[in-house]
Amino acid sequence: MEDAFIQVRDLVKEFPGVKALKGVSFDIRKGSIHCVVGENGAGKSTFIKILTGAYTKSSGMITLDGEVFEPKSIRDAMNRGISVLYQELNVVDDLTTEENLSLGQEKSTLGFIRKNENTQKVMETIWGMDQTIKLHMPVYSLSVAQKQVIEIAKAINSECSVLVMDEPTASLSEDEVRRLFINIKKLKSKGITIIFISHKLSEIFEIGDYVTVFRDGHMVGDREVRELRASCGSVPESCVELVRMMIGKVVQEEYVPSKVDYSKKVLEVRHLSNRRLSDISFDLYRGEILGFYGLVGAGKTEIGRVLFGIDPYDGEIWVNGDKQTKKGVRSALKNGVAMIPEERRSDGIFSMLSIRENIPMMNIKTVLSKGLISYPKERKVADRFIQKMSIAARDREQSVVFLSGGNQQKVVIAKCLNRESDIILMDEPTRGVDVGAKEEIHNIIRSLSKEGKSVIVFSSELPEVIHLCDRIVLMHEGRIGEIMENRKDIDSDHIMQVIAGGN
Amino acid sequence: MLKELKLPVLRNRQLPVLAGIILIMIVVLSFMSPNFFKIQNFNNILLKIGIFIIIASAANLIMITGNLDLSVGAVFAFSGILHAYMSKHGVPIAFSIGITCLLAMCWGLLNGVLVGKLKIVPVIATLGTLYIAEGIAFLIARADGGSNIMLGLPGNYTSFGRYMVFGKIPIIIVFVVIAFFLFLFIERKTSLGRFSYAVGANRSAAELSGVNVTKIIMILYVLCSLMAGFCGVLQSSRVGLAAPNVGRMLELYVLIVCVMGGTRMAGGSGTVIGVLLGAIIIGLLENGLNLLGVGHFAQEVGRGVVLIIAVMVQKNSRAVRS
Repeated sequence: MEDAFIQVRDLVKEFPGVKALKGVSFDIRKGSIHCVVGENGAGKSTFIKILTGAYTKSSGMITLDGEVFEPKSIRDAMNRGISVLYQELNVVDDLTTEENLSLGQEKSTLGFIRKNENTQKVMETIWGMDQTIKLHMPVYSLSVAQKQVIEIAKAINSECSVLVMDEPTASLSEDEVRRLFINIKKLKSKGITIIFISHKLSEIFEIGDYVTVFRDGHMVGDREVRELRASCGSVPESCVELVRMMIGKVVQEEYVPSKVDYSKKVLEVRHLSNRRLSDISFDLYRGEILGFYGLVGAGKTEIGRVLFGIDPYDGEIWVNGDKQTKKGVRSALKNGVAMIPEERRSDGIFSMLSIRENIPMMNIKTVLSKGLISYPKERKVADRFIQKMSIAARDREQSVVFLSGGNQQKVVIAKCLNRESDIILMDEPTRGVDVGAKEEIHNIIRSLSKEGKSVIVFSSELPEVIHLCDRIVLMHEGRIGEIMENRKDIDSDHIMQVIAGGN
Repeated sequence: MLKELKLPVLRNRQLPVLAGIILIMIVVLSFMSPNFFKIQNFNNILLKIGIFIIIASAANLIMITGNLDLSVGAVFAFSGILHAYMSKHGVPIAFSIGITCLLAMCWGLLNGVLVGKLKIVPVIATLGTLYIAEGIAFLIARADGGSNIMLGLPGNYTSFGRYMVFGKIPIIIVFVVIAFFLFLFIERKTSLGRFSYAVGANRSAAELSGVNVTKIIMILYVLCSLMAGFCGVLQSSRVGLAAPNVGRMLELYVLIVCVMGGTRMAGGSGTVIGVLLGAIIIGLLENGLNLLGVGHFAQEVGRGVVLIIAVMVQKNSRAVRS
């Protein structure tokens, strides 16, 4: 492509044990709005981090405006004109707008800060986007959208030629999104190249010029949005096309139905709503494995958080025929609901502690004798789970931090199983684990259902839900699109349509 | 059970390092000063660091949860003054000790509510408690009519603090031993101890595992203040006077002892055995410098240098059980 502003050629990034990017090549045109999409682990954030200087590439090449581009640091990338608007905004809440603008560029005389001429220029840029922001407003009084405006203005004034926006609409209202899009179009008209990352596919059709799809470290699609739309006719259909690219060919795996006792409803959810969810209703039966599937941000995790008592909600939850009145994790656990959280590192494991100390944490009673921790009992519990789940560790005293991802996940699951709850919520139970461990975890889930426990699996991997679940709840932007029975010849095309927001 | 209490020591690579430092210090000091290797001198050292060990054993658990208690010095002073005031004004000594300990626990409860429930940063919350408790200690002393309380204390005021068990072991040493084993027990054998490590290692995971984090933090602060208050009584009773400013810097000593003992300030690891060894190092250092005739201010410099070196050495031998 002659007018390619950024050229990416055979870009590879290797981490110890994983290849996050496996040779990616594509072009980004000057002054275009270029969308990058892909599910978790597809490699898009690795690409962005290389582009912005946070990571260095393993091999391959990036050229920027015809010159080889190898940023050594984030600052280096900024000097070459690449700015990023992170999801976590980089503003200091306690300072005023003006102070935020001059942050890091203060000019001083004898240690006293002088007025910055530059600030006035940035302010004019800000007013071009939002007139309600004043110089002396403390930033904490501004909305997320307004803070974004400040950051965008800062980026423009640092004379950036490329602005990377990482899920800029994630916490904006519809109205704010519309205003943001107007501003993005203004930037485009100034010749700034925008790299736009979003999980909301409809946004891509609204704002994007080009879209690059990442999957599993590869670039699997590079299309002009106009062309994509022309070939499909309407937005939802084009979304389905994108979803197909993102998810790829679904290998049909053997689904073995569990013995579900449909006479025993263990969980009844009615009209559940909160900030991220609307009108969620479903049932769960004894011995059932229920799957929740949808793209990132569709609201799977949010449902898990509500059921486990972490987030507030409107609506009704009935566990074993009792309406839940108390909120909080401890009352959920008391009622027989346990959860394996999505973020293993931050919410699951106690990495400094040993396997032996980790496992009984959710149910300390199992290792107490006469109210005190009994080491023989603790060893027995630990050894039982290490064997049952074949956790590969040197011994039970090994700190969990030294285990592989798969084994860490097994420890988290063991901790949860030791609770002996009847309803087990598993949020992304096999994320970041290797194939062998994945199969083992799936077998554990099946054996749970055989024991008469009910499991809800929240997953963004279609093969996983098709492989495991008796019924699959398809989610799209906080709503349930459809609840379908699993069977051997399930129609994965239809599933993709539903999660893309089609009918 | 003894075997169970002993077991984890062998796994901890930091404790041998600390023990080694102590050994070296003892050998070096024995050569450098003829007065060092004497029972009387060791007795002095123990009396000096006894208070630190008792309070730091409790404060250590708070640090293991990733929190901090800066108010121990003030609670220590407050309790001494209160006990002296009540004793002087006719409250029977045993009663006075009981009431003082109860009130000391209230300071812990205040810290616990501020940090555990209201989620105020521990440094600020306990600093607030420090000022309040110390201020009240001064006010009580003033109400009594002086800057400290010494004259007019009942004759038997010192009989608790100066009591010798079996006629030769100072009572404070007995309490040091009791505190050490009590906290070793809490740390290893109770769910309170286990959960303290869990909270420090990963607070969010602890909450999601159903651990009542707020309750744990509150209990630990109450326990810590109880120890500080009890030590305040003990100390005041031993020296036969109470001053509202005796606790100044005590909180920092306690902090240093914990850090020297290998407790991570971010929480998740540490043990009362380390606290004991850390306190012994501090005690030996001070004693050695005294015996060598190093002046007070130069000692301060030395203390700072040793603290930094000790922490650096430990950082390199950081015991993560691999």
